Amino acid sequence: MKKIFTRLSGGAFVFFLILGSVFAQQNISIRGRVTDAKSGEALIGVSVKVKGTTQGTSTDVNGGFTISAPGTGILVVSYIGYQSQEVAINNQPTINIKLQASSQSLNEVIVVGYGTQRKIDVTGSISQVKGADVNKQPASDAASALQGKVAGVTITNSGAPGATPKVIVRGVGTIYGNTNLLYVIDGVWYDNMSFINPADIENISVLKDASAQSIYGIRAANGVILVTTKKGSKGRTVVDYNGYVGFQNVTNQVEMANGTEYATLINELTSSSGGTPIFSNPSSFGTGTNWYNEILRRAFVTSHQLSVNGGGEKSTYNFSFGYLNQDGLVKGNNYQRYTARFNNEYEVAKFLKVGFNITATDSVSRDVPSDIWHQIYSAAPIVAPYNSDGSFGDPYNISNGALGSSVQFNPLATLEAYNQKAKRYRFTGNAYANVSLTKDLTFKTSLGGEFGQYENRNYVGVYNYTKNQVNNVSKLSIGRADTRNWIIENTLTYNKKFTDHSLTVLLGQSAQRYKLYGSTASGEGVPYSSEGDLYLKLASASSYNYKDDGKLTTVASYFGRVNYSFKDKYLLNASLRADGASQFYNGGDLWGYFPSVGLGWIVTNEGFMKDQQIFDNLKIRGSWGKIGNAGVPYNPTILTVTATPQLSAIFGPDQKLYPGASIDVYPAAFLNWERVAGTNIGFEAAFLTNRLNIEADYYSKTTQQTIFAIPVLSSIGLKSDGGTKRVANQADFRNRGAELSITWRDKTSGGLTYSVGGNISMNNNKVTKVLSGNTPLLTGGTGITNGASVTRTVQGRPIGEFFGYQVAGIFQDATEVSGSAQPGAKPGDFRYVDQNGDNVIDGKDRVSLGNPFPKYNYGINTSFEYKNFDLAIDFQGAADVDVYNANIAYRYGNENFTKDFFDNRWHGEGTSTTYPSVAVGSTSNSAPNSFYVESGSYFRVRNLQLGYTLPKSILSKWKVNRVRVYANAQNMINIFGYKGFSPEVYGASILTSGVDANVYPLYATYNFGVNLTF
Amino acid sequence: MKAMKISYIKYIVKTGAAFGMVATLLVSGCTDKFLDVDPQGQQPSQTFWSSEEDALKAVNAAYASLRTWGNTAFPAIAVESVGSDEAEKGSSTNDATYFNDYDNFTVTSTQGQLGGFWEAQYQNINYANQVLDNVPAISMNESLKARYLGEVKFIRAYSYFRLVRAFGGVPIRVHAVTADDKNVNIPRSTADEVYALIEQDLTDAASVLPTNYSANDLGRVTKGAALGLHAKVAMYLKKWESVFNYTNQIMGMGYSLVPNFERVFRLENENSSESVFEIQCALITGNKDASNSQYSQVQGVRGVTGGGWGFNVPTQVLADAFETGDPRRNATIIFRGETTPDGDVISPVGDNPMYNQKSYVPFNLYVTGYNEGAQQNVRVLRYSEVLLMNAEAANELGNATQALASLEQVRARARGSNTAILPRVTTTDKAQLRLAIWNERRVELAMEYDRYFDVIRQGRAAEIFGPKGWMAGKNEVWPIPQTEIDLSGGLLTQNPGY
Repeated sequence: MKKIFTRLSGGAFVFFLILGSVFAQQNISIRGRVTDAKSGEALIGVSVKVKGTTQGTSTDVNGGFTISAPGTGILVVSYIGYQSQEVAINNQPTINIKLQASSQSLNEVIVVGYGTQRKIDVTGSISQVKGADVNKQPASDAASALQGKVAGVTITNSGAPGATPKVIVRGVGTIYGNTNLLYVIDGVWYDNMSFINPADIENISVLKDASAQSIYGIRAANGVILVTTKKGSKGRTVVDYNGYVGFQNVTNQVEMANGTEYATLINELTSSSGGTPIFSNPSSFGTGTNWYNEILRRAFVTSHQLSVNGGGEKSTYNFSFGYLNQDGLVKGNNYQRYTARFNNEYEVAKFLKVGFNITATDSVSRDVPSDIWHQIYSAAPIVAPYNSDGSFGDPYNISNGALGSSVQFNPLATLEAYNQKAKRYRFTGNAYANVSLTKDLTFKTSLGGEFGQYENRNYVGVYNYTKNQVNNVSKLSIGRADTRNWIIENTLTYNKKFTDHSLTVLLGQSAQRYKLYGSTASGEGVPYSSEGDLYLKLASASSYNYKDDGKLTTVASYFGRVNYSFKDKYLLNASLRADGASQFYNGGDLWGYFPSVGLGWIVTNEGFMKDQQIFDNLKIRGSWGKIGNAGVPYNPTILTVTATPQLSAIFGPDQKLYPGASIDVYPAAFLNWERVAGTNIGFEAAFLTNRLNIEADYYSKTTQQTIFAIPVLSSIGLKSDGGTKRVANQADFRNRGAELSITWRDKTSGGLTYSVGGNISMNNNKVTKVLSGNTPLLTGGTGITNGASVTRTVQGRPIGEFFGYQVAGIFQDATEVSGSAQPGAKPGDFRYVDQNGDNVIDGKDRVSLGNPFPKYNYGINTSFEYKNFDLAIDFQGAADVDVYNANIAYRYGNENFTKDFFDNRWHGEGTSTTYPSVAVGSTSNSAPNSFYVESGSYFRVRNLQLGYTLPKSILSKWKVNRVRVYANAQNMINIFGYKGFSPEVYGASILTSGVDANVYPLYATYNFGVNLTF
Repeated sequence: MKAMKISYIKYIVKTGAAFGMVATLLVSGCTDKFLDVDPQGQQPSQTFWSSEEDALKAVNAAYASLRTWGNTAFPAIAVESVGSDEAEKGSSTNDATYFNDYDNFTVTSTQGQLGGFWEAQYQNINYANQVLDNVPAISMNESLKARYLGEVKFIRAYSYFRLVRAFGGVPIRVHAVTADDKNVNIPRSTADEVYALIEQDLTDAASVLPTNYSANDLGRVTKGAALGLHAKVAMYLKKWESVFNYTNQIMGMGYSLVPNFERVFRLENENSSESVFEIQCALITGNKDASNSQYSQVQGVRGVTGGGWGFNVPTQVLADAFETGDPRRNATIIFRGETTPDGDVISPVGDNPMYNQKSYVPFNLYVTGYNEGAQQNVRVLRYSEVLLMNAEAANELGNATQALASLEQVRARARGSNTAILPRVTTTDKAQLRLAIWNERRVELAMEYDRYFDVIRQGRAAEIFGPKGWMAGKNEVWPIPQTEIDLSGGLLTQNPGY
């Protein structure tokens, strides 16, 4: 009891002492000057604050300041590019302060594969983006917020709610199979990061060069993004709330022909094919229906995220919950996502830390049919959306179906008939332990896993909307896919600093298993009175259909790395990874070895640089590495038996089915690892007391023995990959390019803190070797161009370049046709260049028409903070890129045309020398040609955000630490010449990149949000 | 006490970690086992080709291949039908206008239907070759084995025949390509070489195949089918003795004409006494994948539920080609506004004045979600054609009597009990009788994908198709698909004029 009293009184004594000193303190006036420790120059706009208060000032043009502070207080002096200093006042009236330029790069730590490294010690090319920067641009997928932020990273957004953007690092790394980057989120491997709430992200590291990626050997060929999520920190509990509401609006909408124009065009089209014009009076249709207005809407989005983090002496925690509700631009389209994230770390003993990260994601999407975009584009504007009795307008009612089957739909009815819901549950994360075996030696083990379930339910009910949109038998289809993956990684890290030597050695082992099991079941005749009826047990027994499939792959790996630096001047990083993958178990080289080496020279740490005033930091670095790609089909070298229903034969008077099976696949005889070898040379420099930072890189990487499926002679009669194709090591190609990032950060004496950064990257892709010799690898586009290939991959040219006829003009009359190499042409048809002069237009006359991959990508990112306001404006663009506008000739009949086509088409001698007649969909006109290739260059105001943080004086009343409100606009201004919807074309595969046939239109997003911290 | 406990834990954890690390680094011996993953849901081929059942499945696959899109739908229509004077594109004017390029002979080598047709035939050939390469080694009932080999030889011959008619000489593949075959890029053989292979296969097939099958196997290739196809091939080669010989053999096998011509093409007469060979198709509820024939769908009456897309429609020229009162005219052509014998009322307005009735399946048999008319078998060879080939060969060999007798069997069936129509042909003038037989082929076999190549082999294409743009020296064959030439690196040569 006595003891307790003593403690209490002791505490009380200390308390009164502090209280007493506060009361006792008198403010004194302090004057002083802040200068650069090295040059002695005055520093302007330096922040001088009294520690523990909000009292502060800035230095004037002479570096001088005056401040009133308690004589026993402490001044905190901070300035961009300099190390902050705390100076005890000690009742001095004059205090001059010398600030040391901070070699900020020296202190900055970045996340690298299996660890962290001081940025200054890195010899590869790694860009780090802070979570806070990602979150300046509200997005459902953090990857899309990276657009324009990192040199060398190309991001194409699909636009559909919940869709994952396509990310390419330094040019196309691989073509086939899994072309996704590797996302390592807290040590667990994924194909995307769409299940992570961007607000949970602490930082993102983009590993760009082969030496940095090499430690992820097997999966690194497409690039690696490392994501670290927010962890708790010791101290008091902090509650954060981030929320925004907003909407999306279509921008740059393509104008379609209106009713009268459409009818005029269809009359011309019918006449051109020898028919009688359908409409006697096209102008009677007036403007008709604008289907875009009928179908599209302002799409709303709501997002809430609440996180709680903190920690005690022995543990830290971070819990977060997120909710996203995003509408699609098409009526009925919606995506909702719930995310929960838990992170805990316990210090069990001084030498042992254990922890876990868990993410649970549940998303539901209400889908719209994938062809709806093409339907809106092609729907006849002379059809009313609804009849006066409320029923759907029916194209068939126009001249008794004379419009033909290709436009026998009302897009509104298509949407009404569509009922599909997809759910995705994902439970993933890892548990880990860190053991300090000795002071220098750490063992880390991590067990990660992913339990995922995907459910898809599609119901086609009984309906009768229009003459051709009729369904008499309902059908219910239910799909399930289960993911069961695990990854175990063990690493041993030795870290030792000797006087002049600094050494880190990493040894590691990893094992991974990926299992997917999917099934689809369907049944017919399922009634519908409510969603509760949608069970297959209610289907008619004879209609049941069930299929399943599975995939299983395993990977075993061993890796090691040495990081060494001498006197902080000379850097050496070397690594080696060995991967074995089950795909190559039979008929392939099972093990792949991926080495890397990097060298760096920190020039500014040399003695002879001591007195120079130009560089605050200068590092020159070079690296080389090899990486691999295992994203190939499952067991590609195993010859398997095909036993599909299509191979069942029918015999007998009762036409019964007899099972059939045979061999019709064309497996690779032998498959080697696809390897990428890359070299990178670069420098990092800081000038003007670290306000100006420049980073430049030159790289060259070759992808060797690329695996992909290429068409083979169809006379072989074998198929793979859904066509007469074969998967094999096919080609080598090379990406070469350069990147430059420049950032200026400063603070003016007026209190404006700002940064302006620009980055530009250039990439050249070239196929260096095709194993099939001179035979081009033709790919892409079948279906939209009557089976002709739009892209080809041929030696000496970029991958998947557009390929076809060069248009020389338009045939104006029959005389021109008769004297030409196209005797079958009609006036108004394209006149193609007879490249080989043999007076016949055939396959030999096709030439390269463009490159779907941008040569230049650039971004300008700015941020400004002034008093309580903050502003960020980001610009972004791509240049020297082409798009194939396949929509124009993607026709089966009387689809609508664009207004541009109406205005410019050939419709009689002399009316156009560039646009063809309405018969643009004919075989010869729709053959891939230069008319459809347009520039895809664009420039846009990617993001604009203005925020205001409420003054503390107001907040203290509300018991809130921080309140910030902001408004944000994305893609507000887009400048491009492309005549389609968006020059950013999200191709279905690498080899159909840039082929625009059915794309989500470009839209602008406007959000209003609030950040609260309690 | 506490300190001791911590150091104890420390010891355990540290030793455990160290052991774990060392252990994992040493497990590479087990790694190979970890990486040996079985293919999931895919039967490896090593276990195939081992039993009689496997052989049967592989033969069945070759049959199934015959009903695919490329064999029966658009590619077949483009290559084998719309070039003729009896059929044209149809459907709505602006839909799939490339058919007009086949109709007007403006087609170029990049047009996709050429490749579709080519690919489909070679897929049939692969399934046949798989059997021919692998089944001989299976230990099984030898006579059954011989029959299986005979069946697929017919399928291979039929596919090569369709290729050689369409393209002239094509690459000959008599073995299935395997993964490690080095030289799969082979040049075109001559048309003569392709015909020689076809004849050999058909001779082999006819020597082992039965004349008929038990009910469960109805629809398999018979000896009659092999002889019938061989007769047709021989007719294209003007080997009249062979044509006469093979057709005479068939005429002794018990085939007979179905009395009602119109009913020959209805479901109840599939594999009838008149059927020499048909591609078997069915609508199997719950199995849409197996109900994959689109033969009837693409030609069905447009704009009505249960109809179809309305392509490959009869021309007025065809409608006018029938003799007055010939009931085959109404049995071959569905006219706008008519009511079919099965009671379907065809709207008097619509896209096309006429549709193909030989591929027609009554609308009420349509099942939502399945291809319209998926049930309809494709009549490849009918007994009436055997009779007409017999007549033509007999005439060419100077046997007018038999020629007239065989011809009369065909006309008599068409005539039925109505003596006022289709008078018996009596001319014994060789040229006149030849013309009469050709005309009979035209109306009897109309819209059965025969007319186009029939006119070419008769040597009258310039005269009959010339006005539409057909040119001698070029249009006897279609262009080789450009993609195939590209993929061959130019080893495949293009046909003259393309």
